[in-house]
Amino acid sequence: MGASLLDDVLAETLDPAYAQAAARRTEEPAPARSSRGRLLVALVMVVAGLLVAVTYDQAAATAQGRQQVRAALIEDIQRSSDAGDELTAELEELRVEVARTRDDLLAASVVGQRALDEVAAAEEGAAAVPVTGPGLLVTLANAESDADDDPVGGGTAEDAGGKVRDGDLQLVVNALWAAGAEAISINDQRLGATTAIRFAGEAVLVDFRPVMNPYEIRAIGDPDSLSQAFLRNPQVIALADVSAAFGLRFDFAKADELTLPAGSTLELRSAGPVEPDPSDTSPGG
Amino acid sequence: MIPILGLAAGVLLGLFLDPTVPLVLQPYLPIAVVAALDAVFGGLRARLDGIFDAKVFVISFVSNVVVAALIVFLGDQLGVGAQLSTAVVVVLGIRIFGNAAAIRRHIFRA
Repeated sequence: MGASLLDDVLAETLDPAYAQAAARRTEEPAPARSSRGRLLVALVMVVAGLLVAVTYDQAAATAQGRQQVRAALIEDIQRSSDAGDELTAELEELRVEVARTRDDLLAASVVGQRALDEVAAAEEGAAAVPVTGPGLLVTLANAESDADDDPVGGGTAEDAGGKVRDGDLQLVVNALWAAGAEAISINDQRLGATTAIRFAGEAVLVDFRPVMNPYEIRAIGDPDSLSQAFLRNPQVIALADVSAAFGLRFDFAKADELTLPAGSTLELRSAGPVEPDPSDTSPGG
Repeated sequence: MIPILGLAAGVLLGLFLDPTVPLVLQPYLPIAVVAALDAVFGGLRARLDGIFDAKVFVISFVSNVVVAALIVFLGDQLGVGAQLSTAVVVVLGIRIFGNAAAIRRHIFRA
């Protein structure tokens, strides 16, 4: 017996049965080498070759099958997302058509004309149409990394304090609303009455779509009164202090001409039959 | 010479006939191949040592393949199939290496 199991395994690589059989043969008169034995050996070798070939085939087929399934899945995803894009475009077209038909019909009568004006005002309030006008341009940006930062490990060294958070954007937006802004957008994402500004991991989401640093907030309103009220807001003053401490960029400028895109399309949540009484024109929702 | 021809014939048969293996047996094929290789290398070495015996070779081949597959099967049932596969491959791999080294010494005298 070897000193250990491992020694055994390493030392005894040949099946001891061969040595025993050889010893037996020297003791007894060796039988003539039978042709049966040769045939058996050849047969076993055939089986061995078969095993190797079949296993190889199997492994190759499995790998190939996996690749095929993968390609098919990728194709499926591509097709579905193409179909989704097509449907979105179609929906947009239909919406435009519906709006045009509605406008045409309403424009025909006096009552309709009044309803049309109401609808237009409501759409403006709900951020459903693009708007243009003078206003205030506020820019918030992450702190730039220091020049002596190691550029290789810069990703981890960037500390969380130097980043614009969802709360900062909410604060600025709320201050702008309070200062009398009529319409606001962040990086070309129009804010409606129900638009959320959230944090998801590293990205700020506006209306569930990610917006990137730097954040450009456009507010439409009278530039002078807007900037005065905005700057007098105590929270804005606090944010300016914090920004200076952490190296955030926090600029604002008056602008003569700002263009804000339309917000996400509105969902129809409630509808009711038109009242026969023409004096009651309050919209359902 | 005949055994080598047999091996080649087996490989060609497997590649051209492309037999389908039952799904249940498929996980044991690689282990069976390693066990078969061990038996074949052992037989080759025994032949070079001059102590080859047909009976021992056939029995060692069959028992090697069956036992290796069985161990892995048992391991699968007990939930340690992967670990036992590793154990079988390590032990048989060491033996194959040892026998290959002995064969090398016989052929190249080094």
